[in-house]
This record gives sequence, C-alpha cells and structure tokens, in this order.
Amino acid sequence: MSILELQQVSKSFDGIKAVDGVSLSFKGGKITGLIGPNGAGKTTLFHLITGFLRPDAGAIYYKGKRIDGLPPWRIAAEGIGRLFQDVRVFRQLTVLENVLVAFRNQPDDKPWVAFLPFRRLKDIERENLEKARYWIQFVGLEGMENVRAEDLSYGQQKLLAIARLLAVDAEILLLDEPTAGVNIKMIRVILDMIERLVKEERKTIIIIEHNMQIIRDIADWVYFMNEGKIIFYGLPEEILENKEIRRIYMGIHDSVPVKGR
Amino acid sequence: MSYILHLLILLSIYSVLSLSLNLLVGYTGLFSFAHAAFYGIGAYITTLLMMKAGWGFFPALFIAILGAILLSLIVAIPSLRLKGDYFVLATLGFQTIIFYILYNWVGLTNGPYGIPGIPRPQFLGFGVDSIFAYSVFSILLSGICLLLLWRICESPFGRTLRAIRDDEIAASALGKNIYRFKVLAFVLSGAFASVPGALFASYMRYIDPTSFTLMETVFILSAVLIGGAGNIKGPIIGTVFVILLPEFLRFLHIPDTIAPNVRQILYGLFILILMRLRPQGLGGEYKLQ
Repeated sequence: MSILELQQVSKSFDGIKAVDGVSLSFKGGKITGLIGPNGAGKTTLFHLITGFLRPDAGAIYYKGKRIDGLPPWRIAAEGIGRLFQDVRVFRQLTVLENVLVAFRNQPDDKPWVAFLPFRRLKDIERENLEKARYWIQFVGLEGMENVRAEDLSYGQQKLLAIARLLAVDAEILLLDEPTAGVNIKMIRVILDMIERLVKEERKTIIIIEHNMQIIRDIADWVYFMNEGKIIFYGLPEEILENKEIRRIYMGIHDSVPVKGR
Repeated sequence: MSYILHLLILLSIYSVLSLSLNLLVGYTGLFSFAHAAFYGIGAYITTLLMMKAGWGFFPALFIAILGAILLSLIVAIPSLRLKGDYFVLATLGFQTIIFYILYNWVGLTNGPYGIPGIPRPQFLGFGVDSIFAYSVFSILLSGICLLLLWRICESPFGRTLRAIRDDEIAASALGKNIYRFKVLAFVLSGAFASVPGALFASYMRYIDPTSFTLMETVFILSAVLIGGAGNIKGPIIGTVFVILLPEFLRFLHIPDTIAPNVRQILYGLFILILMRLRPQGLGGEYKLQ
C-alpha cells in the first residue's frame, strides 16, 4: 500500500511547466530513487510535497489525507521530513542544539515553560538529550556535540542535517542529493546510514540522486523525470539499461565506486 | 553619590530595554523600530492609572504590561505575515503612530507639555522616595525582568528562536510554526519593554512624548549592536557602554561651547571603529546578517 501519493500534480513558473501532471505513489519502508537531468523538476516535486510550493493542479495524499495546501511546518509535523540539497544547518547553534531543536515533543512553543524550576525543565529535556545523543552517535558525530555547526566540514554538516532530520521522527524522508559535494569516504558513510534507516528504523526514503551507481545500489524502485514529467519507472536495473534514459542522461559519469548490498 | 545612583538606575532601566530588544533582534533575527513605543506605552499607562485613577504602582504596571501585550499583538498579527523589510517598515509606522498619539491627544496625555508630578511607588508598605531606595527598587525590578529574559533565552523556546534566526526554511521543514514563534517573540519583547517605561516614569516624575521617539529606539538598538546580539551578556555590556561613555566624555576638558558636539562626534567615531574591528559587538557571538 502506498504511503504517499501524488495525483496529476502540476506546477508552472511564468508559463513554463516545471512539473507537468505527475502521478506517483511511494511504498512504505522502501527506498525510491527520483532521477533525471538538471531542470527535470525533481527538486520542485520535493517543494510541492513538503508544502514550500503549492501545486497549480492535482492533489497530494499522505496516508490517505490530503496535504497539498498545508504550510510546510504542518506537513513536517504530519511526518514528512526533508534533507535539503544545500544542507541548511543552523550555523550558529551547536551540533547538540541543532538536533535538540528538531524534536517534535519538546515544549519549545511555550515560552512560559522557561519559568518552571530548573529541575523540572531539566527533566523535560532529559529524554530529548538522550535521544539527541543517540542520533548524533548514529551519524558518527559523537564527541562533537558542542561544536558549532558552522565549524564542521561540509560532509559533517550533511551528517548533522541527517541527524536533525531523524530527530523529527518523520516516517518519510525526502533526501535531495545527500551525497553531493562530499568525499568518497563520506558518501559510503551516508549510504550505509540510509540503508540502516530503512532496515532498523523502517523509514520510507525518497532520494534524488545523480549518481547512477548509487541508485542502482540502494534504490528499490526508480522514477525517471524529464521536462516535468515522469517518463519511465521501474526497477533500477531496468531503468539504467533503458536506451532512451541513457540518451537523455548522456554525459553524466558514474565514477564513484559503491559497494554492492 | 546621587550621580552614581542615578547612573545605576539608568543602567537597570536600559538593561531591560536592550535585553528585551535582543530577544527580537539577536534571538529571532527580526529588526523592530517600535521598541521605544512599547517603552512609552509602559510609561504612559502606568502614569495615567496612578495619577488619574489613583492606582498603586504595581496594579498600574500590570495593566501597562497587558496593554503592551495587546498592542504588540495588534502590530504583530498582520505585520509578521510580511517579509523582512516590510515588517521593519510596519514597526516604524507603529512607532510613529504611538508618538503622534502621545503628542496630540492632549486631553489624555497633556501632549507636548508632558505629565509632571508622577508619584513614586510604594513597595512593601514603604514609599520609594529617596534616590537610594529607588535605585534598590529599580535594580530589584529590573533584576527580575533580566532573570526572566535570561530563562526565556536559554529555554527550548529561545533555542528555537535562534534556529529560526539562522534558517527559517530549515526550521519550517522541522515542523516549527515560524509565524507563531515570531508573534510570541514580538509580544514578549514588547511586554518586557513596558516595565522600564513604568520605572522611568516614576523615577523621573515627569514624562513627555520626546522620551519615546524613534531616536530612543535607535539608542536601544545601538546598545544591542555595540554589546553584541544573540546572547545575554552582549546587550548588558552594550548598555553599560552607551550609558557610561557619554558620562566619561564629560570629563574631557573640552570648551563648553563645543563640548556637546565634540562628545557626539567622539561617540560616533568610537562606534564606527568598533563596528569595523568587531562587527559582532563587544561581547556578542552572532554577526547580524
């Protein structure tokens, strides 16, 4: 059964169709790859799912509930988390604070909680502190809890953004090029983590990725987008062996060696 | 001695003003030009209730805080839906409106003539009449405000405000209702700014609208920026700096005819050099974007 469904979703900018009548469905507990050349509409599709853009037409359903038109914070609260391509960590906050801020069960929207006795406030925070440390360890940033995010390397910032995303406890994770701009060693770390998230945490993952070897290695199902439309879908092997896709994607090199599952 | 106590009272009043503005500027990343308006609202509501209704200082202060909350909601709810620069303009508009209401509603506020003879507060059954007693009273009341502001800034709420300041889009993607947080920050900032207004009025025993102009907001903002936004110690350092530097400049032997202007030039020059060498302020960590 699909957990997320898009029905005939369209979005135009100044008359140019960025997403054109896209219908998709995503199964729970799977990794779905969303691939296509630059400008195909992949990131726009993520914007539409997460509420940063409103579709001109069509509908988006999450667990049977219509979510298009809801503000981004409501969609995130429903259980759809997103990793941005340009990481977007809170630069002046520490690693620990970056993760703590993401928890949904904290009393951060109630300023009067600040007036509770110190011990009571500590009790409220204790559980989240433990969880935050768990996620920091999960992504391999242990020992860096008190380092400011802006002082981390780009790859470490990606890991931090993933830890923060995990702290949201979203059921669906939308990952926009999680391995872009990071070194080969770090790519391996991130991919292992994505696989663990599905196996151990039972997350549903939708990943935008340009590296075909990565898609072949981790995705269960792949959609190929071009000029705002889904033009192919299927198993990774089928997609990557399709001549038309190879023609559209010509010039993209799969140079990063990735270990098979 | 009276001079030092006078400076202590001013420091306590302006510490609360700068730290409450810091909640907005340094923690939430919102620029507001309406801070002196809330300062004035606190001063006028407290004064009018004490003088026209015969209320005590604390009940009048309580209503002044409620008044500041109500007015800040009226400003925040529509204007925080606007983007960055437009919000700043909305606060500028509010500041101007409040000033002209205070200036022109002569029947209520006595307009440009101001309100003289404001009574001193009663505290624990004693009149806070001497300057020493008032300095203790002012430091106590300001101290409570500073403690509450510190707790708010260091709480999960303050942490989320800093996250919003750093990246609104990312915070929104984590499920944070940015609009709600900004409204709350603006309301808290306005409410806290009303308390030093009440303190100022009952200390000076006279108020008029010229104490609550846009220039006053700029002065408070300069304390925040010089001291450093985004933490607790920065605005306190900044307040000490902006209050005491002009006082120190008084001790320079400058001919009386040009002294005020020279002091202003030296003051401006010092701020320029500081902003060039240490843009995050004397005690700040956060560079305003």
